[in-house]
Amino acid sequence: MDPIFIVGLVVAIALFFDFTNGFHDTANAMATPIATGAMKPKVAVGIAALMNLVGAFLSTTVAKTISVDMINPDVKITAQLVFAGLTGAILWNLTTWFLGLPSSSSHALFGGLIGSTMAYFGAAGVNFTKMIEKVFIPALFAPLVAGVVAFTATKVAYLITARSQKERNAKEIGSGRTKFKVGQIFSSSLVALSHGTNDAQKTMGVITLVLVAGGVQASGDHVELWVVVSAALAIALGTYAGGWRIIKTLGSGLSEIRPAQGFAAEVSTGVTILASSKFGFALSTTQVASGSVIGVGLGRKGGVVRWGKAGQIFVGWLFTLPAAGLVGAGSAYLTMQGDWGLILDGVLTTAVALAIFTVSRRNKVSAANLHSEVETASEVVLTAKQIKAQEKAARKAAMKAKKKSKKKGKK
Amino acid sequence: MIININWEAFLTVFLAALGFTSLIVAFFSLGVRFLTDAQNLSAKARKGNTQAQQEEAFYMVGAYVTFAVCICALAYGIYLIIPFLPH
Repeated sequence: MDPIFIVGLVVAIALFFDFTNGFHDTANAMATPIATGAMKPKVAVGIAALMNLVGAFLSTTVAKTISVDMINPDVKITAQLVFAGLTGAILWNLTTWFLGLPSSSSHALFGGLIGSTMAYFGAAGVNFTKMIEKVFIPALFAPLVAGVVAFTATKVAYLITARSQKERNAKEIGSGRTKFKVGQIFSSSLVALSHGTNDAQKTMGVITLVLVAGGVQASGDHVELWVVVSAALAIALGTYAGGWRIIKTLGSGLSEIRPAQGFAAEVSTGVTILASSKFGFALSTTQVASGSVIGVGLGRKGGVVRWGKAGQIFVGWLFTLPAAGLVGAGSAYLTMQGDWGLILDGVLTTAVALAIFTVSRRNKVSAANLHSEVETASEVVLTAKQIKAQEKAARKAAMKAKKKSKKKGKK
Repeated sequence: MIININWEAFLTVFLAALGFTSLIVAFFSLGVRFLTDAQNLSAKARKGNTQAQQEEAFYMVGAYVTFAVCICALAYGIYLIIPFLPH
């Protein structure tokens, strides 16, 4: 098959991947300000799209992590390899999304590409040193940093806005912490901006990789302007389209997060992602946002971690990359069989996508199946209020049991 | 395989994230505090209490200054990560 045709196909699929990424992640940035009423849904979604667009233009460092650092320079990358990696990532992504498993589209992409490269060239084809430095360690490090920073920021915010009992008695107005809602307009825009600097780059990286493989571009050390523009537009459109989903289904999961916490979480997420993008760390933005949400939950008085739930999420994260790698390797073996294998791989991916799309269409959108991953992370921390409610319920149950046993004793 | 990792980059990310976030959140919180103080005084100030009027103005200025610091910190941070701007 003409390699240029495969290159074109990969570019199209990569842009579609970018669109779904924006679609999926709007909730991370904008669910909180919409939930707290800081912004009207339409405005929030519009700003998120615009900020993603701008963010995509700010830097191409993360794109180079994929187009230059990921695969060993002595290996001759082919368009088939990139095609297999990308379809592997999409297959894994769609399946986990359909089954409701925690996953990360970024890690699926890395996994798919690494798996495909390993299938073609063995472990030596992958530049593991760079991968450890720019993907694996940041994957653990960035959510942790975001969590610690968000915890600190929450403490700072509550400390500074705290009022003494005397002040509270003398004045009608309380701490004024609802004013953080206005701050959330800025902080959630920051999250959307940082999303553009990291997630849109991944698509640019993949496109650049395939352009080099197809001989259209000499080396992967720069990103063509049309690639930047199209990736930016795709993620912005996806963000805008995904917004309508949130508007319909705003869950109650995030309501436990107060405006001050939301502000602290979003600033931590945005700043951590921006600082990581500067060094080319290719992160899962959802994981960073989840780290922040857990951090702010703990930062407020009386927050307690449910380690079981946190462990579940963490295992899901660890699982994504190797699992997508296997699917990527499988796709790679298919493409190695020649043109029919490549066509079969493409048909298979399209069929799965269509099937899942049809089924999810039938099951109508509901709050349950559109639970955002950051919301799941917010359930890791129990607030003081929730603990009290649980204790109350337990006490009631104990009282009932006592009464019952007394009655039995009388008989 | 020699694993040569630039640990300094991780330290920089951690310190930058902690520093910028703390700075922005602290100043925004201060602004919230000042603004609330100003609102608490506004009823008195409207009645013509000059001391309350002065204090209210002081708090309002304080609030706007702290919010401005937040925006500047944010703008500087974004400027730092854009590679094609002169540093």
